[in-house]
Amino acid sequence: MPYKRLGLAITFSPTGKNLLIEAARLKKLFNAELILLHVGEKSEESEDRLKNLIDDCSISGVEITWAKGDPAKAILNFEKKKSIDLMIAGALEKEKPIKYYIGSVARKIMRSSNCSVLIIPARSGSFGYYKRFFVTTDFSQRSSETMKKAYEFAKLENAEKFVLIREINIPGLAFSVDDTGSTRNAEMIKKEWEIEEKIKLNIFLSEMNIQNTEAVETVCVYGKSGWAATSFAKENDADIFVVSAPVKTPKFFDRVFTHDFEYTIKQIHSPLLIIKS
Amino acid sequence: MGGLSSADTIRLLLAITLMLGFGRLLGELFRKFKQAAVVGEIIAGIILGPTILGLLFPELQQWIFPVEGPVSIAINSLVALSIIFLLLVVGLEVDLGIVLQQGKAALSIGLIGMIVPFIFGASFAYLLPDVLFFEMGDKLIFSLFVGTALAISALPIIARTLMDLNLFKSKTGMTIMAAAMFNDLVGWIAFSVILGLVGAESHGLSIEWTISLTIIFTIFMLFFGRKLIHQILPWINSTFSWPGGIISFMMVLALIGAIITEKIGVHSIFGAFIIGVAIGDSVHLTEKTKEIIHQFITNIFAPLFFVSIGLKVNFIQAFDPLAVIIVVVLGFAGKVIGCGLGAKLMGFKLKDSLAVGFAMNARGVLEIVLGIIALEFGLIGEEFFVAIIILVLLSSVLSSPLVSYFAKESRSYSILELLLPKNIYFSSAETKDQVIRELVKLVCKKEQIDEPKLLEAVLKREEQMTTGIANHLAIPHAKFDVAKPVCAVAINKNGVDFDAPDKLPAKIIFLLITPTDKNELQLQLLSEIAVKFRNKEFAEDLLNVSKPDEFLMKIKQLNS
Repeated sequence: MPYKRLGLAITFSPTGKNLLIEAARLKKLFNAELILLHVGEKSEESEDRLKNLIDDCSISGVEITWAKGDPAKAILNFEKKKSIDLMIAGALEKEKPIKYYIGSVARKIMRSSNCSVLIIPARSGSFGYYKRFFVTTDFSQRSSETMKKAYEFAKLENAEKFVLIREINIPGLAFSVDDTGSTRNAEMIKKEWEIEEKIKLNIFLSEMNIQNTEAVETVCVYGKSGWAATSFAKENDADIFVVSAPVKTPKFFDRVFTHDFEYTIKQIHSPLLIIKS
Repeated sequence: MGGLSSADTIRLLLAITLMLGFGRLLGELFRKFKQAAVVGEIIAGIILGPTILGLLFPELQQWIFPVEGPVSIAINSLVALSIIFLLLVVGLEVDLGIVLQQGKAALSIGLIGMIVPFIFGASFAYLLPDVLFFEMGDKLIFSLFVGTALAISALPIIARTLMDLNLFKSKTGMTIMAAAMFNDLVGWIAFSVILGLVGAESHGLSIEWTISLTIIFTIFMLFFGRKLIHQILPWINSTFSWPGGIISFMMVLALIGAIITEKIGVHSIFGAFIIGVAIGDSVHLTEKTKEIIHQFITNIFAPLFFVSIGLKVNFIQAFDPLAVIIVVVLGFAGKVIGCGLGAKLMGFKLKDSLAVGFAMNARGVLEIVLGIIALEFGLIGEEFFVAIIILVLLSSVLSSPLVSYFAKESRSYSILELLLPKNIYFSSAETKDQVIRELVKLVCKKEQIDEPKLLEAVLKREEQMTTGIANHLAIPHAKFDVAKPVCAVAINKNGVDFDAPDKLPAKIIFLLITPTDKNELQLQLLSEIAVKFRNKEFAEDLLNVSKPDEFLMKIKQLNS
């Protein structure tokens, strides 16, 4: 089973209820334990509300913990203390004219968690069975672990589609096009590289030692790293998008001058699974 | 009434026609010989200018390209506009995300690679200003300028070199690119500050104001302006015609930036550059749009600017061998030592560091723009300017061969280096098992590896999934306790069944053993072999060899 101890940050809201149902489904799917965390004052009233919520969803055998203070900090603490291996949280979102706003708590968790994280945007259609898995890889050891975990997950879900994405990018390509004098040349260079990467993808896959590699689609996309794969998953209606956690926790400058992982967490359209290995 | 008379209009149009036509013609010619088009365009200017045409037909030259009068003003305005747009596209390619992605190595190379040449140039100019034809004004500012002029790399030339050498896919290539982007950004800010120091009085702003406003403008554009543009671009893309709308938007913004910085008291081009950086960062600016604006600017505006350089200066008169030698030596030594050191400190191997140094040594457009502005400001004399142009030409022409030399030496474990004639043999085995045993025996004899264990590892991998690829190629492989990768090849003209997807029997069988902890290296080597055998004819042709050396030669030839 990919995960044994699931954590869920729970709130009293319609989204909270949906999240709980989803977490309970995954608990069953993985045959795992589920531990809930509620950040807020522990009172008789709130305890009752939580109990009702759990009863409402007809879930049994869950452990409940309480914490106070800054929600992000409390969640990160909770992960450590309860040795959670998959933290589930909702991405609070408000619909703004141009783009979705992901809650700052969710973002902090995505950046700094010490375990894998599943972030689910609160939108109808985000919950339930994941049939279309999209996974991005950079061929590192880390990303082959990610691929294995994602594949295990997909098998449990009986997924219909499993796509492995590799990004390529040539900074300064436009410059070189000028000097060689033709856009055709640039296209050729891109194509050539794409073919090479396709071969690499297939070898990467065959080294994975998983059954049915034919069921996995491989695709090579051109664009800024982080952004290209994320948009590809979005355009192809991914049910769940899987990435590896960044090696280093993104800092202030990484956020301002967006790159890689930051592109992914700034545009969450489907549930996002960040795998830490 | 203002405006040009009909006769002047004709002269102006004639001048532009010659600049554009002749410049582009020589540019294309240089491209044919695999040189940067810029070099050809500069030479076209030297031919049309006082250096050659002026020497042969001084009156004709003066009539077409007058130094004074309305025609001259019109040409200069056009050139000024060209530089603004040129800097816009240079800025577009600076991607700060990539700089951060590459992290400390890029910052170290970029920064140390600027500081060292800056110190070389500035201290030399301060101690021996006369050698570099310092005439009047502030010696300190002159020294600062010389330092900056030697410290800036040319992103476009570097991008092209990496592309030519197929290095852009490697870690080293990406680091070089990121370092060059960082270098560009810091270099331009530094240069603008120096210009602020020089031109402060003429703009009516005090030096403190000019510098503070420059910094405020830069920070504002890089942090907020960039985000704002990112928000606006999708709207522009969906509301206006493509690519017309977005291109006009970019050019108008560049002009606004130029106006602001000119008003502040630094040069107008700085604003265009920063606007370029701010726009280029957005993912909403597609590669296609970038290519279009590049084509349009580098084929129309850039040639006008490069040709105009030759029109301003007499290269023979202003040629001073000593100044040229000093500038070239200081420039090369400063960059190669600085960037090389920056790379070495970050754990690059010596050869890699030198490759980084020589790649970053390439100079181009920016250096020339810098020089011409300094010349116009009276900061430097023509002799020093000519020396800079020669440094540009030399460093950009030499960049590719030198980088190629050092990078080839250092490229870690290409399959070509692993393949030794003693590890290639002709096999007559009849089964997959048999050929694997032969190969394992061969490498174990030569490399002192535990034979039974290795055999077990290879066979175990084979059990998981066949290693038969296609086009008569199979690559049985395993990770094993070895210090460096080992490779052997069996050539089997009859073929053995490897259960390859295309059902063809394997006739060329590579055995590849890689260190246990090197996942990516294994992938790289495997794919390197597989990529070579993409072409079935090539694989079949390889079977005609009769000696291991011949086999090696054919594989190597395919590489070039």
